[in-house]
Amino acid sequence: MDNSGKEKEASALMAEAEKKLKSSQSFFGALFGGSSKMEEACDLYARAANMYKMAKNWCAAGNAFSQAARLHLQLQSKHDAATNFIDAGNAFKKADPQEAINCLNRAIEIYTDMGRFTIAAKHHISIAEIFETELVDIDKAIAHYEQAADYYKGEESTSSANKCLLKVATYVAQLEQYQKAIEIYEQVGTNAMDSTLLKYSAKDYFFKAALCHFCVDMLNAKLALQKYEEMFPAFSDSRECKLVKKLLDAYEEQNVDVYTDAVKEYDTVSRLDQWLTTMLLRIKKTIQEDESDLR
Amino acid sequence: MSSDFEAYEQDFGTLTAEITNKIGRIPKLGGEEKTQLVLNVDKQLEEVRELMEQMDLEVREIPIQSRGMYQSRLKSYKGEMEKLEKDFKRSRIAYSDEVRNELLGEDAGSSESQLIKLREERAHLLDNTEKLERSSRRLEAGYQIAVETEQVGQEILANLHTDREKIQRSRDRLRETDANLGKSSRILTGMLRRIIQNRVLVFVLGATILLTIILAIYFNVRGH
Repeated sequence: MDNSGKEKEASALMAEAEKKLKSSQSFFGALFGGSSKMEEACDLYARAANMYKMAKNWCAAGNAFSQAARLHLQLQSKHDAATNFIDAGNAFKKADPQEAINCLNRAIEIYTDMGRFTIAAKHHISIAEIFETELVDIDKAIAHYEQAADYYKGEESTSSANKCLLKVATYVAQLEQYQKAIEIYEQVGTNAMDSTLLKYSAKDYFFKAALCHFCVDMLNAKLALQKYEEMFPAFSDSRECKLVKKLLDAYEEQNVDVYTDAVKEYDTVSRLDQWLTTMLLRIKKTIQEDESDLR
Repeated sequence: MSSDFEAYEQDFGTLTAEITNKIGRIPKLGGEEKTQLVLNVDKQLEEVRELMEQMDLEVREIPIQSRGMYQSRLKSYKGEMEKLEKDFKRSRIAYSDEVRNELLGEDAGSSESQLIKLREERAHLLDNTEKLERSSRRLEAGYQIAVETEQVGQEILANLHTDREKIQRSRDRLRETDANLGKSSRILTGMLRRIIQNRVLVFVLGATILLTIILAIYFNVRGH
């Protein structure tokens, strides 16, 4: 009951705003301070949109916010326009993902125009997340994450850039573009080694890089493993490194059971997540294929 | 008749007491004395048996009504005698036990007590194994938790790193904003000054014009 009341209020506000807008565009309005009328109209649109949000009518809220944003563009207040576009995007996220992406894209354009790359990067990430979850389009998600990482690097925030790059790496590895994934993991790993805060995660990155090497070719994996051990001595003590060595041995002997045993042993101590299980399964399949080839 | 029976009873009592005494002493003695004692007890047991037979005959001569009491007494005496004989036999066997103990030392113990000891030791060992297994299970669980904690720690550290960069950026931007605000405040003061200057100028000009008009009128009026 409260919601429908709010909706009525909201629609009333919208109507008022449109009237104001029309009046401001007529001749007299332009003479006598059309801009203030437009500002008032913007304000009314924003209020109407908030009421729609309270009533949980996301589509209408998004529309109202986009109207407000366009008016702001006309008034040349870019900042306000961009913020309204972002609000519109958020409202649409819950209803219509495609519209949300449109609004967010326009907002990003405005921000990059103004030179605010950090915020643009943040919104690239939001778009990528929408692509991940609602419209499952991994390629576009990867593209947006890469853009975000580039912007973050431009702004010298390597940590956020690394966060995006890692997401890119997980997805490309799943899509079997191992070379790219290897580069990213090595880069992030070498960065992490030097920082006191991050060095405990470095071994994780090297482990993933080694697995990707393994998916490509076993010799690569061996060389890579040696390289990582040289670079980062603490890596050789970790359980992950021992697991990779065992897997390499099992691969050489073409012994699936030893492989499975090693993986099971690692799993009892710390559970393997989705990505790891997929990669290990791929490697296991290559072993089994080789076995059947030899037979 | 009954007095005979009572006499026999008394004899029986003394004999059994002696026999019990001697049976108690037999295991502790050894060699000549023992064989002597054993022969003694044997003779006394024979006497007791003869007594029992005579008591039996006596009881049979008693009329049936009063026989009951004597018969029950007789039965108890027979039971006693049999017990004595058993004790006597056991005391001769106990002989062998004592000597065996002397031979094998005091800790030898019989096979039964050995079995009991073995059983106890086994239970003890099983207990220990169970405790070890429990401890190793707990250690594994502890290790798992440690690994999980490490992973959580990694995530937290990564987050902290990002936050650190954000804070540094915000600080820099804040300093920029501060500088910009300073500049804008200077510009505004400049504007204010100019406004005041303009106003002063306007007043001065206004005053000059007014003065000129007044002078013009004055000269006009003067000129007439």
